[in-house]
Amino acid sequence: MYALGLIARWVHLTSSLFLVGASAMIVIAGPSDRSTARRWEHRILSSARGLAVVAFASGLVVLGVQTALFEGRAAAALEVGAIGRVLVETQTGRVWLVRFSFLVMLAAFLLLRLSVERRADWRAARGEVALLGAAALVPIAAAGHAAAVDPDTARAIAFDGLHVVVAGVWVGGLLPLALLLRTAATSEGADARPYAVLAARRFSRLALCAMVMLAVTGALLATIHVGSVAGFVGTSYGRLLLAKLVLLGLVLLLASVNRTVLLARLAGDGPTVGRPAMRRLSGFVVAEGLLALAILAVVAALSVTPPARHEAPVWPFGIRLSVAALEGATAEATRTLIGSQIAVLGLVAMIAGVILRTWRLPLVALALVALGAGAGLALPPLAIDAYPTTYLRPSVPYQAASIASGAALYRESCAACHGSEGAGDGLAGLALPRPPADLRAPHTAQHTAGDLFWWLTNGIPAAGMPGFGARFTEEQRWDLINFLRALSAGYAARGMGPSVELGRRWLVAPDFTFAVGPTPPRALKEYRGRVVLLVLYHLPGARPRMSQLAGREGTLAALGAEVIAVPTDAAPDAIRRLGAEPRVLFPIVTQGATAIVTAYGLFAGSPHAEFLIDRQGYIRAIAQSRGEAAELETLLAQIQELNQEKTPAEAPPEEHVH
Amino acid sequence: MRAWKAVVLINLALIVGGGWGYAVWGLRTARLERELAVARAAALAGVEREWIVEGVVRAIFPELNVLVITHGDIRDYMPAMTMGFRVTSPKIQEAVSVGDAVRFTLRGVPPNVAVTAIQKIITR
Repeated sequence: MYALGLIARWVHLTSSLFLVGASAMIVIAGPSDRSTARRWEHRILSSARGLAVVAFASGLVVLGVQTALFEGRAAAALEVGAIGRVLVETQTGRVWLVRFSFLVMLAAFLLLRLSVERRADWRAARGEVALLGAAALVPIAAAGHAAAVDPDTARAIAFDGLHVVVAGVWVGGLLPLALLLRTAATSEGADARPYAVLAARRFSRLALCAMVMLAVTGALLATIHVGSVAGFVGTSYGRLLLAKLVLLGLVLLLASVNRTVLLARLAGDGPTVGRPAMRRLSGFVVAEGLLALAILAVVAALSVTPPARHEAPVWPFGIRLSVAALEGATAEATRTLIGSQIAVLGLVAMIAGVILRTWRLPLVALALVALGAGAGLALPPLAIDAYPTTYLRPSVPYQAASIASGAALYRESCAACHGSEGAGDGLAGLALPRPPADLRAPHTAQHTAGDLFWWLTNGIPAAGMPGFGARFTEEQRWDLINFLRALSAGYAARGMGPSVELGRRWLVAPDFTFAVGPTPPRALKEYRGRVVLLVLYHLPGARPRMSQLAGREGTLAALGAEVIAVPTDAAPDAIRRLGAEPRVLFPIVTQGATAIVTAYGLFAGSPHAEFLIDRQGYIRAIAQSRGEAAELETLLAQIQELNQEKTPAEAPPEEHVH
Repeated sequence: MRAWKAVVLINLALIVGGGWGYAVWGLRTARLERELAVARAAALAGVEREWIVEGVVRAIFPELNVLVITHGDIRDYMPAMTMGFRVTSPKIQEAVSVGDAVRFTLRGVPPNVAVTAIQKIITR
């Protein structure tokens, strides 16, 4: 089924692109009164009729395979009812309806016998074929990966549609052009030779523009669907895309020979110009066309492969390059700086070599040497050890509950060596070949969550760290990593005081869910856009502070700030224990308190702690005390400052993972 | 007929047909949505309704006959929030104290609703 679907997709894509490209090629070449040119035109048009049928039939097969996939059973591929449901009820199906109707219109139009003796009639008739072909092709973008992009769906679809139609003009034009050149190179077709030369020149110009547009839209689509180097080399989608790029490189090589050498030799007569050049060009164009067919096969495979962005990349190399390696290493940083400058010089020389006609060879040679030397100098200091899981994204979000279960696992299995506070000073660690790592140190910038996952799973044999892959489930390992992240962040947060530093957001507030009594659970994330004052309190010490906050609840609400209070003893009857007076109306967490207290306890040591969380979900100030009433006007002023602070364009916290 | 005229006619027909179809579809969807909203509002307005809601008593105002309750979602009326509700009898207020998890009956013609019955729920 998979193979059938793939082949059908390839046939469908190829025929749809050819319909656009072949008709565009005729329009580009223009009308002619030479009999050979007319024969060529009619041959292309009659093959277009066949192609429309092929595109329709292969489209039906693809639709059938998709129906089987949607319904979850192979037999559905042949059931009219099931296919009808897909056509009417899914977006993919509606796109197919639109495309099928345009294909039918195109086939019908191709069957019309129109008189095209006059120029305007010819242009209209041939242009209409190209237009209907494009109309049948472009909606395909709304049924592919681009339609699943969120947000900016419309933008992705527009890029994809443009990419597809430009690809059609280029790919589909190649074989008709080769045919025209081949015919014109024979002695019977000599009358069409000027026509063929003109067509080749026009197509070459158009193909150059098409290539630029393909490169631009392709690069944009790659950033949308792949987005990272790890996605490129570590996922099947990325590797298919690399294969496509390699094939495209070969095509560009051929095309540049065609454009610079052979195209110039078409006119005139002689042993290497005129007919021989035309024959060779036609051969090269056929080769380009065959490579393009291979590219389309890769594209068909891409269309059934989940985009790299949604896959867990497997990093294939033992090292990776990152600027984070330079932190604190001055000599290496200087070396990298010098190397990068040499490489920039090399780049300038390369551009100059391509543009200038004189000195081309020495310039390019110089450029290559400078680029090589620059890379050799700059890159080695950037290398950091990497593992297959290095770019794995955590499958468990950074949440209080996960941090709390990670903390429990840590106490059980890690504290003996790494120490109860994570300082690497556990007694059992003394016997190890290498002292256990200080898990609070800020070196996390150099290690991804995926690195930690690898070490946790497989251990670090040289250091005596055992692997826990067999003992902990994947979820538990991510819990531990979330705990380590919070531990290290908490250590760094020691210096954070009760006053907000404007413009500095770095301490991500772990998300949590909580409930007040039998009401449905809510998450901290739902408060995004408002300032939250998270209060960890302990009675009776915090009674004055709670009274104070309760008394000013109206003012806090007017400033758009929400108070969430969590009893550190996680008592289920916390609200009753606060009593009837004063009237505390903000949420008192009665479910989920334990996890919140464990996780946020890593950021503060005192029995009473207040966290000021900004509208983007970052902790901006931590006030620690024993819970006595404090100056409230300062707090209100800080909330107002946070409200007025400029909202950054950067991604909200969850996206940002070390 | 000249070919170019035929082509222009075809394209015009496509544009007009497609546009007309799209417009009809959009108008019909808009009308259905309007009707739905009207029907829903009519079904809800002016009719006495009753809900059973769970929540926690947060404050009691005996002099106002008001209970402040942090409650869950009230279907088709109010999302989960902390809010004061009038009670129909002082006995209802006397039956509960601050911090009690409760299940209460809310009855009335919105927005004029009141708590008509309340009972504590035993939580673990």
